[in-house]
Amino acid sequence: MDAFYASVEQLDNPELKGKALAVGGNKERGVVAAASYEARRFGVRSAMSSKLAALKCPELIFIKPRFDRYKEISQQIRAIFFDYTDLVEPLSLDEAFLDVTINKVGNPSATIIAQDIRRRIKEEVGLNASAGISYNKFLAKIASDLNKPNGQAVIHPSKAEAFLEKLPIEKFFGIGEKTAEKMKRFGIYNGLDLKQFSLQFLTKQFGKTGIHYYNIVRGIHMSEVKPNRIRKSLSAENTFDHDLKDRKNLLEALIKIVDELKLRIARTKVEGRTLTLKIKYNDFTVQTRSKSYDQTIRVEQLLEIVETLLDQAPVIFPVRLLGVGISNLNNPPNMPEENKQLKIEYKNF
Amino acid sequence: MKFIVSSSALLKQLSAINGVVTTNPVVPILENFLFEIKEGKLTITASDLQTSMMTEIDVEAKEDGNIAVPAKILMETLKNLPEQPVTFSIDRDTYSIEISSDNGRYKLAGENATDFPKIPTVTNATAVDMSSEVLSNAINNTIFATSNDELRPAMTGVYVNLSATNATFVATDGHRLIRYRRVDIASPDAASIIIPRKALNLLKSTLPSDNVPVTVEFNSSNAYFNFSNIKMICRLIDERFPDYENVIPVDNNNNMTIDRLEFMGSMKRIAIYANKTTHQVRLKLAGSELQISAEDLDFSNEANERLSCEHDGEDIEIGFNAKFLVEMLNNISAKEVTLKFSAPNRAGLIVPSDKGENEDILMLVMPVMLNNYV
Repeated sequence: MDAFYASVEQLDNPELKGKALAVGGNKERGVVAAASYEARRFGVRSAMSSKLAALKCPELIFIKPRFDRYKEISQQIRAIFFDYTDLVEPLSLDEAFLDVTINKVGNPSATIIAQDIRRRIKEEVGLNASAGISYNKFLAKIASDLNKPNGQAVIHPSKAEAFLEKLPIEKFFGIGEKTAEKMKRFGIYNGLDLKQFSLQFLTKQFGKTGIHYYNIVRGIHMSEVKPNRIRKSLSAENTFDHDLKDRKNLLEALIKIVDELKLRIARTKVEGRTLTLKIKYNDFTVQTRSKSYDQTIRVEQLLEIVETLLDQAPVIFPVRLLGVGISNLNNPPNMPEENKQLKIEYKNF
Repeated sequence: MKFIVSSSALLKQLSAINGVVTTNPVVPILENFLFEIKEGKLTITASDLQTSMMTEIDVEAKEDGNIAVPAKILMETLKNLPEQPVTFSIDRDTYSIEISSDNGRYKLAGENATDFPKIPTVTNATAVDMSSEVLSNAINNTIFATSNDELRPAMTGVYVNLSATNATFVATDGHRLIRYRRVDIASPDAASIIIPRKALNLLKSTLPSDNVPVTVEFNSSNAYFNFSNIKMICRLIDERFPDYENVIPVDNNNNMTIDRLEFMGSMKRIAIYANKTTHQVRLKLAGSELQISAEDLDFSNEANERLSCEHDGEDIEIGFNAKFLVEMLNNISAKEVTLKFSAPNRAGLIVPSDKGENEDILMLVMPVMLNNYV
């Protein structure tokens, strides 16, 4: 979806149409979660601090996100996808991979299916969508960015390698800012540069992901479209309107975050064995502290563990963001029950 | 202050209680042994605040006195000295300690004995007597099933329930449960306590192999163990123990009796081929044949063995963690064991086919789900 959150806001409130719009944050604080195309013209980007965004675009309108509404629209869009295939792997609220090799409409052309899906989203939901078409997830994702907004692109198997060779390294899906920086230190600026390095070198430098980098630049990505993404962690965090300056405020904030996490745990019914506390300082450095247990952590223990982690090492005030998450999930509800070690069911314990 | 003692006799006493001393104690003085001399008797104490152990030895001393002696350096000195009388001379003002032997002199810095934490004494205690052999058995049969999950402190110890007719020792880690009952230990005052694993481990290694009487006393906060010339005091786990009786199934009627060593041997071999995280093995009971198998899809490993057994019940396939089974089988002394099942997703029970005198042991283990059952 193009500028998803911002487009939804413009859809629901016609007065916002054609205006520079940022969802998330306010003039002083927070980060931009999404920017309308009008705002992007000023250089406003998602994940940019809202302070900087306001500097770049003085008439920028900040809107509070309404996630429930975005989720609702996301489900409408997903329902359209399911008319074409059951192999839908959601990547986020507004992105998904679809495997249409075999599809419900019996159309052999992925390009035509993409056109049809985009037309229906426009007609039924009222939003613009873009699509990328190729023979694996990695290339499809890259293709989807090529003719944004409101467009689509195909990367043909015969052209994939040549295309990737010219692609700047930071445009590779899955290569973020940090990895791109590291690659550039080795002189890797585009796909062709990356291709020059041996598998051995890449695994030495990047570990297991090195194999992935070696493959994708050759257009190889074997990952299937998985209808149910297996959840690996669950967390809640908050960037504060004003930096926290003492332990008392910190604890109060943590209680709220833990409450939110508890809600999310109750909703998703996951159980984790590792708890992580994330602290972002006002110089944007991030610290994480975590503790793992042999057994799953119960919700009523969360706060106690968070406090232990908090006292594990001094906190340098002021603190900008706090987050609490569980990972090492034991039995995600969408995982099969097989091979699971059963527990003794003690009453009230 | 000065005293003379045999190097090896002292080492023997120190070794018995040295396990209490931790490398990184809450208070630094706990890296020391507390030496207290009174009328020619040296009492040595080691403590980590939760658990404390004391022992006594006769020494040649003209006067009474106290000093805290660094445990590690003293132990190592004594371990490396040939057997001989050694003289300890302590400077009361500087707490400096000089040990003299035939080989030479060693000087180390002690600490003021009054800084050593006070060890709690017995008050309002319930007492019960048993032999060291019985206590050792009770510990060995249960301790391996305790949990090391700090989040469930009750499970990190062994629950002991005393009644007028018997004593029950229970350990559980949430996946298995051991209930060990003895009819030769009883107390007119019914009571239940949870003894922490560290204390039991220390007892396990310190209880003498020759059968000596042990007095166990406890109140609501501490337990005291007294045997030979050793005393141990430990803080109890002040938590509610899970209601274990209610989780022991009473309708497991699918019974298999098998030679314990044969079964365990097979299990150990098959376990090598099992998945490294689940340690899942599959038991397939058909008639009087038990087929044990495992596979590790990640490495394309698989193994399969067949054993004969006595079986009374329907054919059944059930998965277990091989490590759990091996550990449990290893802690039973009977020649044959009986496994009692009901369903592949319900607890299995293991009991020895013939009970030892005065004792009754029951082991419960939860299955690992098989992929063809769910």
